[in-house]
Amino acid sequence: MERSFKKEVELLKLGDGETFHGEGILAVTKALLQSGVAYVGGYQGAPVSHMMDVLNDAREIMDQLGVHIETNASEAGAAAMLGASINYPLRGAVTFKSTVGTNVASDALSNLASAGVKGGALIVLGEDYGEGSSIIQERSQAFAMKSQMWLLDPRPNLPKIVEMVEKGFELSEASSTPVMLELRIRACHVHGSFVAKNNLSSKHSKNNPIQEPVFDLGRICLPPATYAQEKHKIEVRWPAAVRFIREHGLNEVFPGARTDVGILCQGGMYNATLRALQMVGLADAFGASQVPIYCMNVTYPLIPEEIVAFCKGKKSVLIVEEGQPAYLEDAVLALLQRHEVQGVKVQGKEMLPNTPGVFPLAGEYTGEVVLTGVAKFFNLEKEIDSIRSLKAKALQLLGSPTPPRPPGFCVGCPERPVFAAMKIAEKTTGAFHLSADIGCHTFSTLPPFNIGHTVLGYGLGLASNSAIQPLFGRRTITMMGDGGFWHNGLTSGIANSVFNKDDGILVIMKNGYSSATGTQELPSSPQHSEFKAGDMAIERALEGVGVGWVKTVDNYRVGEVSKVLKEAMTTDYQGLKVIIAEGECQLERQRKLRPVVAKNLSAGKRTVRVKYGVDEDTCTGDHSCIRLSGCPTLTIKDNPDPLRRDPVATVIDGCVGCGLCGENAHAAVLCPSFYRAEVIQNPSFLDKALNKLRNVWRGTTVH
Amino acid sequence: MNLPDRPITILIAALGGEGGGVMADWLIAAATQCGFPSQSTSIPGVAQRTGATTYYLEIFPATRDQLGDMNPVFSLTPSPGNVDIMVASELIEAGRAMQNGYVSPERTTLVASTHRIYATIEKMQMADGRFDSSRVVEAGKQLAKQAILFDMRELAQANSTVINAVLLGAMAGSGALPVPREACEQAIRSGGRGAEASLRGFAASCEIAAGSRPTPQPPAPPKRAEGLQEILDLSISRLKDYQSETYAKLFLERMQPFLDGDSKLASETARQLALWMSYEDIIRVADLKTRASRFERVRKEVGAQEGEPVLVIDFLKPGVEEFASLLPPFLGRSLTHWAEKNGKLDAYNVGMHIKTSGVFGYLLVRSLAWLKPWRPFSYRYREEQKLIERWLARMRIAAQRNPALALEIAQCATLLKGYGETHRRGKANFLAILDALVENPAISDAVEQAKSIRKAREAALADPEGKALGGALGKPVTWLKPVKN
Repeated sequence: MERSFKKEVELLKLGDGETFHGEGILAVTKALLQSGVAYVGGYQGAPVSHMMDVLNDAREIMDQLGVHIETNASEAGAAAMLGASINYPLRGAVTFKSTVGTNVASDALSNLASAGVKGGALIVLGEDYGEGSSIIQERSQAFAMKSQMWLLDPRPNLPKIVEMVEKGFELSEASSTPVMLELRIRACHVHGSFVAKNNLSSKHSKNNPIQEPVFDLGRICLPPATYAQEKHKIEVRWPAAVRFIREHGLNEVFPGARTDVGILCQGGMYNATLRALQMVGLADAFGASQVPIYCMNVTYPLIPEEIVAFCKGKKSVLIVEEGQPAYLEDAVLALLQRHEVQGVKVQGKEMLPNTPGVFPLAGEYTGEVVLTGVAKFFNLEKEIDSIRSLKAKALQLLGSPTPPRPPGFCVGCPERPVFAAMKIAEKTTGAFHLSADIGCHTFSTLPPFNIGHTVLGYGLGLASNSAIQPLFGRRTITMMGDGGFWHNGLTSGIANSVFNKDDGILVIMKNGYSSATGTQELPSSPQHSEFKAGDMAIERALEGVGVGWVKTVDNYRVGEVSKVLKEAMTTDYQGLKVIIAEGECQLERQRKLRPVVAKNLSAGKRTVRVKYGVDEDTCTGDHSCIRLSGCPTLTIKDNPDPLRRDPVATVIDGCVGCGLCGENAHAAVLCPSFYRAEVIQNPSFLDKALNKLRNVWRGTTVH
Repeated sequence: MNLPDRPITILIAALGGEGGGVMADWLIAAATQCGFPSQSTSIPGVAQRTGATTYYLEIFPATRDQLGDMNPVFSLTPSPGNVDIMVASELIEAGRAMQNGYVSPERTTLVASTHRIYATIEKMQMADGRFDSSRVVEAGKQLAKQAILFDMRELAQANSTVINAVLLGAMAGSGALPVPREACEQAIRSGGRGAEASLRGFAASCEIAAGSRPTPQPPAPPKRAEGLQEILDLSISRLKDYQSETYAKLFLERMQPFLDGDSKLASETARQLALWMSYEDIIRVADLKTRASRFERVRKEVGAQEGEPVLVIDFLKPGVEEFASLLPPFLGRSLTHWAEKNGKLDAYNVGMHIKTSGVFGYLLVRSLAWLKPWRPFSYRYREEQKLIERWLARMRIAAQRNPALALEIAQCATLLKGYGETHRRGKANFLAILDALVENPAISDAVEQAKSIRKAREAALADPEGKALGGALGKPVTWLKPVKN
């Protein structure tokens, strides 16, 4: 794993009255234990990876409490695990990123929501929306609405988040409905504090297992039970939820002196709204606002009585709702109409040009967006004029927009050479179509490679290629990571491709971990913690589903990789051709290597440090090497030759000596400027003697 | 007492893996130690892999005791115009912050390192795609209330620490931080590993920001030959070193027609001509790679300590072209034509890892350098001189019509760079422009013609695959023959 959570695990042990200082997602983890969960699971993905990671590091506490932890195969697996709460009084929680994870989980979630739950079921959603997001921009609200699950969107404040986790379980049990808790990226990573409580043991747990099965036909998702379940949702569970939310005051009203206006906001948008009010002079730093605020910590279901009471008598209300479609705004409008509340102008998103509305229809509601909207609503736009002129002045001074810096492959990443090999292979095979997948390797679509034509979902690379391959003039290539392979690629892609006798090429990027999410273990990881089964080889799985053409390549041998790619493109073999591209995730490799090297060095052992470099006097500054690499340590510097102008390539500190530079120079016949330097630290007697001899030779240079 | 009416807001722009999260932790620890409520957020995840990322903190500068039961409501996102301290671990990230309105003259202390880590899009350009750093520095000085700008990476390296400690030091020294220096130092100290080095970097930076230690001066801009005489002198010594006294004389003879004309044209012609005449062939590369100065440079670049032997392994992959270039013209020409016709130009390259620092590797490479006297009799020499004459002839004609036009033609020689396929493509681009726009122009007006040449040259540089140039020349250009298997 990318990080060790030993320190954080201590936080999970805190008891009554002690103060927890830490990250939002860890506060949620602690809240789960305070709520007496019996099982926890999930699938890694920012921003909730830490929850699974910390739980995996906290086995000792989990064992004491008898809590089962499962590393699920996918989000669908995680959601299905919540089935344990259908018949048994077990509280359970799972986590994944949304909406991509929620998409994958939807099948199980629908069934779970229809059957209803006996034990509280909580789904912690890491809402990966806006800045820093790596996924498609959608909102989770739709999932809650279509399946009638309740959606909590707490104020991003640790005590409130913890309270909502605890109340979430109660709500789930009071209404027999699974509950989703949505946390935005920044809320997951917010550092704050709350006063802890003791952890609770579940009545039934690994320490006290369930003894008798419970059978209830009404919980089976088959007609006629499903008809009854739908009715039960509407007639019993929904009203029960509304009652619980009202009685326990899950939504909050912050009073204000102004009686003519009010603001309704999602809980998650409360802090931004308040800051905006403060900046236009309508609130102070402590949350005292002149404008009353209705803070919806539950965004589904809405509580009509509360909304009507809040809006009634006001001239206008502002709705701060991030994401689209504007479900909340539409619902509030319909609700006021239905309850015949007259004369309240509802403002939110700018639905049509020149209609009331102050917020953009789409996109993240950053501090700036909320400030602009609030200023517009209160006709205080002059308060924000300075911001506009500030940006304009900056752009004028800078001359042109600064170059973008998207994320990319790490230094020495083993995936980079595969794409370099593809660029080289393309010179002979001609440009090919590549169906990309989710993972670090998706960075291949960015400069300098720009390889990859479509991305359809995690592990779905090969499936997304299934109509391309037969309809394309020559063979096409599909990319899949080992993470995607185990997530569902083996079945939806590979097995199906073999079954349909497709003739494609699949490259499996085997770097050993779920690297993009924080290098979590996979079934095929090179080493495992004691809680996981030993190596489950990808190769054996491929053999098992009948793949007849499998080649394994060492990623850093660019020429070899390129050759195998060309071979796959031209071979007479009809059927799926799989190339396993092996290279351990460099993050993980360096993490293991660094302490060993440091220890050897201090013990005086002979150590060879490898670094690559570029001869500045033979480099002509054409940068073709960079266009084949993009490594952060292969960069440029001023040309030392006073007659030349263009910068030369250079390798800076941080180079891990992966060897790609030299391999590329060879495989692509780029340039003779690259060299590999082997620095012998703690040299032996022989090293020193040889060095002396060599120096004599080099000293006799004849020009 | 009167409580502050707003928190102190700190936005940190960094690149993934630079320790921005650790710095945020230090700040929170320092604030907590002072009894100030504080909050930090970040946007980790895959987005931080080498890309630009931010950390945002708010510290309320009043103690919990002073606040009683009042709790400040912190924001999770910064607002433009409302940032007290803007920290950037790299210069362009400071520029990005300014562009987004996070640096304001009323409020913001800008703490930024002036070193550059080039974005992929900047460094992958065929020529020089770098953003103008001086504009960012100037903008910072104009836009910030207080700007602390110097190379903090270098200061970090000098103190064997990482940049976050130096950035924190600059913040503390700026006076804009609501927590005292000691609290920051305490936070670093309790961080454990590497604390001593971090504290050294912190202290140095803190003193620079506070003005009690001089601000490190930026390095001198790279030496560039600008004046005609300077360029001529450099060129002559370069060509003497490259080949011989006679070869340098040939250069001067070729320059004669330009010396009394437009001085800008003469300088640029001399520069391009000298570079072209010292084209990088296998002899030149072998020569440069076996000089004592080279081994010294490598030692320095890889940071080898005294007494640590350094082995240097070179990656050479000579092929048909390199071999042919050394042959007598008639043989070289036939071999090249045969290889081009049969798509064998890249077919027989021999990949070699030569340990140039070793006795045998050194001898092998050095022996290639010893071929220098043979060079004037080689195929490549003949070809290069022919093309140089063709180019010079066109420039002499153009110079009489319009020096600006001749200058554009001179600059086209920039396209001739790189090795192997890169060089082939560059040469093909050069020839395409020479043929279509210089020798057989569709336009008779010299100014327009110069413009079209510039456009084509820029297109060729912007897009190494040559699609943009095809457009600029007004026709699809396919220069490379498809390679047969």
